[in-house]
Amino acid sequence: MSAGGISIASDITWLGIFGYRFFQNALLGGTLAAAACAWVGVFLILRRESMLGDGVAHTAFGGIALGLLLGISPLLAALAVSIVAVLGIAYMKKKGLANSDSAIAVIMAMGFALGLIIISLAGGFNVELFSYLFGSILTIGTEDLLIVSALALVTLAFLGTFYKELMSMTFDEEAARMTGIPVQAMAVVFNILVATTIVVSIKVIGIILVTALMIIPGLTALQLKLSFRRTVTAAVGFGVLATVLGLILSSLYSIATSGVIVFTAVAMFAFIATYRRLG
Amino acid sequence: MAEDITPILEVENLDISRGSELVVKNASFKIFKGEYVGMIGPNGGGKTTLLLGILGVLKPDSGIIKMFGTDARTFDQWERVAYVSQNAVNFDSSFPMTVREMVSLGRVGRNNLGRKLSAEDWKAVDEHIVLLGLEDVANKRIGELSGGQKQRVFVAKALVRGPELLLLDEPIAGVDPTVQEAFYKKLSDLNIQRKLTIVIVSHDMAAVFCRMSKVICVSREVNVSEINEDFEPTELLRKAYGEHFHFVFHKHECRGDFHSE
Repeated sequence: MSAGGISIASDITWLGIFGYRFFQNALLGGTLAAAACAWVGVFLILRRESMLGDGVAHTAFGGIALGLLLGISPLLAALAVSIVAVLGIAYMKKKGLANSDSAIAVIMAMGFALGLIIISLAGGFNVELFSYLFGSILTIGTEDLLIVSALALVTLAFLGTFYKELMSMTFDEEAARMTGIPVQAMAVVFNILVATTIVVSIKVIGIILVTALMIIPGLTALQLKLSFRRTVTAAVGFGVLATVLGLILSSLYSIATSGVIVFTAVAMFAFIATYRRLG
Repeated sequence: MAEDITPILEVENLDISRGSELVVKNASFKIFKGEYVGMIGPNGGGKTTLLLGILGVLKPDSGIIKMFGTDARTFDQWERVAYVSQNAVNFDSSFPMTVREMVSLGRVGRNNLGRKLSAEDWKAVDEHIVLLGLEDVANKRIGELSGGQKQRVFVAKALVRGPELLLLDEPIAGVDPTVQEAFYKKLSDLNIQRKLTIVIVSHDMAAVFCRMSKVICVSREVNVSEINEDFEPTELLRKAYGEHFHFVFHKHECRGDFHSE
């Protein structure tokens, strides 16, 4: 049996899979990325910027292509391009050049177009690009695992450290500003972290489905009508659970990992939304 | 009422425009520690604009604002000032936050950036929840509260910081009169017990004239009057609301319970 190009014994059990090195790597990178994504996602949903993740992810495509062309780490190149993109979107909004949706649309198209131009100039690197479009966590290498883990941990550390400030800003930015919170600086850092989180999750779930990992867990948690703290905790829990289940199922049954993760996350959302309405 | 010689808030020849329209014209007044000040005037008269100008959210065209004796442009102790906006209660009711979490945001500021709230912070939060009579709903989500409860949550959030000046912009519009009266009574108590200086935008003239020590009347022009035994509001009100405005008021008619000694 093979999962994403890795061969495992056909009689392997749900628990047995945890003994494989490739699975342990995937689990580490996947859960850290899922946790960071879900947490950032709660803020994005509450700030009504759910599509920001999608926009930046598509821009990251340009960065990946650039990295492959220049022979540098595609993830780091994607990170640089994503940061420029997310700050560009924020700038356009702030200067009144476009509202959030339109700014995202412009930047997203530009980033994707950049990727296409680079690919056509380079004569195509289809196989590698494919792995970034749809994720390839089961085959993650050591360098990428380090990048993913480090970026996810930095994101989680920031979110944890400035938890109460971010909560205050998300509820009412103007009121937060008046209490002396450096709202503008915090917003810039938060936007950069949206970019890092996206780059982190590209390896797990791919450019196309990255929004799912950011938005669905938060949306599921919001159905439960909990406090802010519990909503964040639940979102992270749902994100991690969907990722772990997705990794196990895709390894055992050789199904596309990102597809299974998204499917599991949507199933959780549907179950909880139905339960809330019936119960 | 004035105890300290330096006014807590001093406004001198202040003009504020919104777009090309001059909304507040030549405002000059002083507010001293422990005063309970009502701000009245017709809708669109510039009350909110004046408050936002004082808070530095709107930039004045000209004039001087001094906070605690310091020019507001260089004043950097905004934690001494708390503000509850008119729109505070119009939040998305699905926002996931409990009353306790909301009030705790009042203790968040530049002094504890990136640090967890201390045990002392949480003690203050719980005390203010009790003070505003919110203990039964402390763990409820703010979206599930009644209008009056929401307003008390925002006042608790403003007060928990221990401000010296509290600015309230029509915090109790659309709430039934009994709840309103209880709210003004609560503010009177805070004013007396904590020597808290309060400026409140209100349309309830009986509450302003009976409970408060000074009235600022804003209708583009700004007129200020002390409210004492000889206070006669007709002229002040006619300047703001027009010549045909009729309002009968005698300070001695305020019932005893207005004076919460």
